[in-house]
Amino acid sequence: MRDEEVEKGLGRDPRILLMGGAIIISLILLLLPAIFPDMGFGGLKYGLDLDGGSWLRLKPEGAMAQIDADVGTIITHEYSSFLNTTVTVTGTTDTSVSFEVGTLVTAKQVESLGYGQAAVSGGRGGVSAVTLQVDKNHVISRYLENSYKTEVVLSEDRDGVWYEIRKQTSAKELEDILDDVGGSLILYKDGVSQATLVKTKEILEDKLNLFGLSDVKPIIVEREFILIDLAGIDIETAMDLAATPGKFEIRIQTEGNESIHAVYGEDIQTVGIHEANNGIWGVPFTLTQQGAVLLREAAIETNAVNAPLNHEVIMYLDNEVIFSAPLNDRLADNLKIMPVQDMSASFGTDIGSKESAKQLESHLKAGALPVNVEVIGSGQVPASLGSQFKELTAIAGLLAIIMVSFMIYLRYRRKEIMLPMIITSISEVVMILGFASAVKWQLDLPAIAGIIAVIGTGIDHLVIITDEVLYEGKLPPTKVYLARISRAFGIIFAAAATTIIAMIWLFWLGFGALKGFALTTIIGVLIGVLIARPAYARIIKEVLKEEQE
Amino acid sequence: MVLLMKNINIEQYIDSYLKKVSTTQMVIIPLILLLLSLIILGWSCISTSTPEGLGSPVELGVEFTGGTIVSVESPLSFEEVQQQFTSQFPDTPPISARDAGGGWVMLQFAPMDEAAQMELNEYLTSNYGSEISLQQTSAQYGQDLQLSAIKAVIYAFLGMAVLVFIIFRSVVPSGAVVLSAFSDIVIAATLMNLFGIALSLGTVAALLMLIGYSIDSDILLTTRLLKRRGKLDDKIKGAMKTGLTMTTTTLAAIFILFLVSTFAQYVSSFSRIDIISDISVVLLLGLATDLMNTWMLNTGILKWHLGREVPIGKKKRGRRK
Repeated sequence: MRDEEVEKGLGRDPRILLMGGAIIISLILLLLPAIFPDMGFGGLKYGLDLDGGSWLRLKPEGAMAQIDADVGTIITHEYSSFLNTTVTVTGTTDTSVSFEVGTLVTAKQVESLGYGQAAVSGGRGGVSAVTLQVDKNHVISRYLENSYKTEVVLSEDRDGVWYEIRKQTSAKELEDILDDVGGSLILYKDGVSQATLVKTKEILEDKLNLFGLSDVKPIIVEREFILIDLAGIDIETAMDLAATPGKFEIRIQTEGNESIHAVYGEDIQTVGIHEANNGIWGVPFTLTQQGAVLLREAAIETNAVNAPLNHEVIMYLDNEVIFSAPLNDRLADNLKIMPVQDMSASFGTDIGSKESAKQLESHLKAGALPVNVEVIGSGQVPASLGSQFKELTAIAGLLAIIMVSFMIYLRYRRKEIMLPMIITSISEVVMILGFASAVKWQLDLPAIAGIIAVIGTGIDHLVIITDEVLYEGKLPPTKVYLARISRAFGIIFAAAATTIIAMIWLFWLGFGALKGFALTTIIGVLIGVLIARPAYARIIKEVLKEEQE
Repeated sequence: MVLLMKNINIEQYIDSYLKKVSTTQMVIIPLILLLLSLIILGWSCISTSTPEGLGSPVELGVEFTGGTIVSVESPLSFEEVQQQFTSQFPDTPPISARDAGGGWVMLQFAPMDEAAQMELNEYLTSNYGSEISLQQTSAQYGQDLQLSAIKAVIYAFLGMAVLVFIIFRSVVPSGAVVLSAFSDIVIAATLMNLFGIALSLGTVAALLMLIGYSIDSDILLTTRLLKRRGKLDDKIKGAMKTGLTMTTTTLAAIFILFLVSTFAQYVSSFSRIDIISDISVVLLLGLATDLMNTWMLNTGILKWHLGREVPIGKKKRGRRK
């Protein structure tokens, strides 16, 4: 390569061609929307701090824990306080636990604590022998659910079994709860599982959709938070839309307009997809065990179980009625005997019913975020300020280029050196912006700071190249020139590598607004080192050669 | 040949600098400043510490302490606006207020809970419309960010140090580069402390940029001195000429950035761009520091180290005072 370049002209040098091509592609990408506005590709996307709008950073509240506890101790602890009598564990297997209680109990009584299916026998001398069909993990998770009065979800990965507690807690609080049953906390992580995070995000997206904001896409950042950018929407509306969970409530009518509370949205466990069952459109959903008990109590209290037609079940979202219908006869009969978790809200058979079912589905989902979300950061930039910032940074950039040109001229006193340097620098900016529009980056203020940083080091490197080549004040013989250039690039690569190393952590840890800054800097340095500086080295050689001839 | 004639001037300055300042002075002066800075930062840590733990070496911005910053456009003075908010929100009054330029007033609030924040938002929207700028961070998230920021700076520094040792494979020159980069950050942080510039996401970014920038001239110097043949002082002179051009060019560009982002409010109705202003001021301080650390500390150490290696009889040691 190096030997060939002596013969090749400037226009056919691969380094020049590479940079020229990159610039042309970048310019096309940048100017595309101006020429073909309908294509929806290319052009620069600005961040909220330049375009105006509001943003929310939400943290789903919850914790993940690995726990070890003895099944027998938990069962003893739970049933002795529930039944107010002595409990003796007689044996445990992988899938069951057997114990004796000092009183007569029914299977239903035992099952009401939620520790699985029970078989009760005996009654000898007022003692019942109970066998629960339940494994260790479910005993622990049920114990946590009862203690926290919230949902606890089991999951397993290569680290073992995790208990996800869907409520704000702390390691200390969890340890206290485990201390009661002699259990131990092995690992504790603040925050919910990735699955829950994704689910929460999707529900938020549905909810925003519901309000006609279909172009707003919440994203997961730092594997822990949900970030929502709402262009052109003020912070108050944003908070109302996204941060406050839709308050969902099921009530049962007592008489006329009167009703009593049955269940809140937190007890909706899952919501299915709207479907037609025997031609009747409806939305299947399940209640938590606690919710099922609550609904049953309300149904019995209002007498809806006996006279369903007089006591409609009414669903509210943010105090708006979204569904109202009587209990189905079979469900009413079932509720007389036991709590029911699986439900379906049904409409009719016509097309309108299908639409209603579809709408109810999104309402139910919107009202049932799996976990509570905390607004840990929020902000707003008015559009007018954003456009001022855009103008100002453009002015600053332009003035900085003029200043740099002046300084370079002062040092070398030759515009044949100054011009290629400045043009190379500007090309670097064009290429970075071209890259940004190709990968649809949002250009925000920190990213612009990143570009400035890159241009700063870029000029530094061009000075290094120039000074190496110009050591004697004129172009050295080719052999010396090559040695000098390779030494200059040694310095440049080393310096670029340190900059990338310094930024890679920031990108990796990826916190706050600085991820964009880190990424811009890294990409900018790479473009500079791999495309712009080699081309400059070639150009400066040509310029000096012509000058001497 | 205009070029050469003009350069003689710079070279003369460099010449007289190299003649007048001894190697010991080159090393000692920056080291004393570094030590002083460490003392100031340490003292600041202790004096701001609370029963929960050690304080911080520099003032922390709202992104790290948590809280809310609000800018509103108002014909009133910032004191009047502050008064207005204090009477409206007696439980969560603004803890500070200032004129942000262009008719904008900036208010800062301590961290508050979600209900209080929503109340504030409602008041802002109904009284100032959507033309408000707002930034809120919860106390907990602020603390998490602090940790991440510290981690990022430490990792970046360690990564840089390891890389420098890999590049030069020699203890003293690599150590000198790392020491001078360390000193850059420490002295820049001290200057931030003295000038009351708070640590924000922007200034953390600036400190990280500083690692990248300051290393450029150090690597240039070290490569030139270790790999080029020729007289030591000539090599230092050449490196200085290039290095000073690099740093002054960058300084000039950043100075413009600082002027525009900070003072545009006085020439037209523009408002301050805080993040760019913060970044540029820290870079200015840091690059100025870097001039000293590269051309005194790092150069001094290398001179001493290379002078030591020269065979006896070539009397390079005469420089020692």
